[in-house]
Amino acid sequence: MEYRKFREIEIYPTRDLSYEFLGIHFENPFVLAAAPSTDNLEMVRRAFQMGWAGAVMKTTSVQETHVDLCYPMLSTFDFEGRKLFGMGNIDLISKHHVDEVEYNVRMLKKEFPEKMVAASIMAGRKEDWQSLVERLENAGADLIECSFSCPQGNIGEDPGKMLAQSPSATELTGRWVKEAARRIPVSVKITPHVTDIVQIARAVKRSGCDALTASNSVQALMGIDIRTFTPHPRVGGKSTYSGMTGPAIKPITLRTIAEIARNVDIPILGTGGASTWSDAIEFMAVGAGVVQFCTVVMHYGFRVIDDLKNGMSHYLDEMQFSSPREIIGKALPNIAPHDDLPRRKIRSHIDEKLCIGCDLCYVACRDGGHMAIDQRPNRIPHFDRERCVGCGLCQHVCPVDGCIDMQVVA
Amino acid sequence: MGIGNRDPPSCMNFQQAKIEAERCLQCFDAPCTAACPTHIDVPKFISMIRTNNIIGAAEVVKTSNALANTCGKICPEEVFCQSVCTRGKQDSPIQIREMHLFATQHERERGFSATREFPKSNERIAVVGAGPAGLGCAFELAKLGYHVDVYDSRKPGGVPRNSIPSFRLAARELEADTRFLGRFFRLKKQSVDSDGLERIRKSHEATFLAVGLGRDRTLGLSGEKLKGVVPVLKFLERVKAGPSGMKVGKKVVVVGGGNVSLDAAATAKRLGAESVVVIYRRSEKEMRVWKGELDEARKQGVEIRFLTNPVSIMGKDKVAGVRCRRTRLSRQKDRSGRPLPVEIKGSDFVIEADLVVVAVGQTIDARWLDGFDRKEGGYIRVGEDFQTSVPGVFAGGDMIAGEGTIVQSVAHGKHAARAIHEFLSAK
Repeated sequence: MEYRKFREIEIYPTRDLSYEFLGIHFENPFVLAAAPSTDNLEMVRRAFQMGWAGAVMKTTSVQETHVDLCYPMLSTFDFEGRKLFGMGNIDLISKHHVDEVEYNVRMLKKEFPEKMVAASIMAGRKEDWQSLVERLENAGADLIECSFSCPQGNIGEDPGKMLAQSPSATELTGRWVKEAARRIPVSVKITPHVTDIVQIARAVKRSGCDALTASNSVQALMGIDIRTFTPHPRVGGKSTYSGMTGPAIKPITLRTIAEIARNVDIPILGTGGASTWSDAIEFMAVGAGVVQFCTVVMHYGFRVIDDLKNGMSHYLDEMQFSSPREIIGKALPNIAPHDDLPRRKIRSHIDEKLCIGCDLCYVACRDGGHMAIDQRPNRIPHFDRERCVGCGLCQHVCPVDGCIDMQVVA
Repeated sequence: MGIGNRDPPSCMNFQQAKIEAERCLQCFDAPCTAACPTHIDVPKFISMIRTNNIIGAAEVVKTSNALANTCGKICPEEVFCQSVCTRGKQDSPIQIREMHLFATQHERERGFSATREFPKSNERIAVVGAGPAGLGCAFELAKLGYHVDVYDSRKPGGVPRNSIPSFRLAARELEADTRFLGRFFRLKKQSVDSDGLERIRKSHEATFLAVGLGRDRTLGLSGEKLKGVVPVLKFLERVKAGPSGMKVGKKVVVVGGGNVSLDAAATAKRLGAESVVVIYRRSEKEMRVWKGELDEARKQGVEIRFLTNPVSIMGKDKVAGVRCRRTRLSRQKDRSGRPLPVEIKGSDFVIEADLVVVAVGQTIDARWLDGFDRKEGGYIRVGEDFQTSVPGVFAGGDMIAGEGTIVQSVAHGKHAARAIHEFLSAK
């Protein structure tokens, strides 16, 4: 018997995840980052229908800008069987110039007035930055995001250097952009590749721009073919540095957001390495107001929004939070300088009932710790509390959840 | 740690589920979902296990399958989702049912997620029979806003409650489902006959029949009336009713090579029979049973004699043995496409027995259904919309297709509910 397929009737209530941020209404905290997924009207339309709260259209430019792409542009950093742990791209800004993006923004706002539609822009000269802002604002964009940090080819006056690597250039360009935006907020997308991210954040603040998008991809060389000595992605026997995104850069982004939020009072749109609802919560906990996604969507499709929303809803219920807003900055008080951390005596402890006898803790401690674990004939390792310093290595290499834990002794 | 990730007993633990979930390729338009009769969105619920959203995972399963706990425990995964798993083409299929069980066991331990308010209409629909098909239909109808009356003379559950052995399905699994479903319909504890059906039809906009089968087929052999010869349903139901319900002999012969026969054989062995022999007229290859059933029976020490036909049941006042004849498979195929067994002359032998369980299929028991069009095997004929020859009366479950799986019956009910909705909307 063939069973006809039909749409299931929802049997669970949907929780309201909406809130205001930057004076903009967000249906939920999940927004598509400026990327291939937002470079096409039909694709963004589909994403909106599936429940994404907004999209930053792929970075556009004035009509005269020459965007010279090369292919293949993607490569990946796969790790221990997991694909796309990191994804590298040598993509550039959109081939679609402002005419087209203006049209897309207008159409999307007409069809989805309740969604957040942002336009990302990049230019060189003041008049170009300003004309882009004016046109896209008039088209109905809710937010302007300025790419001061595209790690590949830059249209700036100082080739090879990103705008957001210079506090003065950031401030100056930020002023131009903010000047042109009459009603809508402006966010500056920055790079983590600076000596002091706080200096850049302060420059954005001084420029009068309303927010920061933190942060762009991490510059990387994705890998080398060890027979031909060509790096990835291979473009006619040569390659170049990529911008890396995906789960691999999440900790870098978390630190970048946290460092800005701890030092500068400016709203942050988080992006760079978030894949799941709990990643989004972590981004928000260190100060992001909303979270942008790209690599996970390029991997699995827009459908990941279902779990993002559902997981976030259950989390809010569990934590008895009334709105995602309540998460913002929750972890910041718990980040302290190293000097301020308490010095306590910690020892590792093994639950022998859970141990499966792999001796990974033994070898890790023997060769990378303090030789504090002894092998035993029954394969249940013995932990020597005298030699153990409590570094935590054994706990992290143990394949069994909850088998080894770190205990405060004094 | 994620949401609700306390390890429930008797299934994968949290870490095992997570490791297995990470093997899933997350296929788009996935074959597993298409192969599941209730179309559970498998990649979605597995992706939720991956992100530690176990509550969400259970909700995805329950959105599609009303008997989520029951199916998590006993669905023959090798027939449905796992048989088409893409990962199986790389190395081995994802253990989908185990993860389904993990998610639903969590929900059972934690308490059901609150459901939303469904629309309410005054249109009443009757569901006759509170087995998997009836419950599947009742829940889907409730989601569509109908007022549903479910008629059954026994507690809700049908086959899973009355005859699936408790070693395969613990009562609490089924009860986790019936408890959840109970608030979506009114249970009318009464049996139905021809007059009853007429009254029900008059007081409801539409009727869904799902009373199952219930009558054991007989062998038509001499000695079948002897004491100690028991039809399989009666055997399983009596065992399930309680410890005193059925005395199992020392030497048991089960006639027939289906899943129910194996259930009976494994049950007899578990209850202490010294020897249990299943006789089946074809070879193992032709046996249409689920791997889990066969493994369980063999694990219990059940002997299966293939290529063996019963000829007569022997004994004076009570059964003493089964006279059997060897068979061989001919080139001719029967309607099921399997080779026809032919008896070999002069190959008779006797298997001693003090209990013979006859498990050669079932037919519809209810006489009050005599007025309905039938198809081969005596099952109720329905159209693509599950409507019977009587307008406004729909049917599903085993009574339209013969002994099937729980999940197929749930799917019948669910699809019939949609058909009923269309039928009434077009009125």
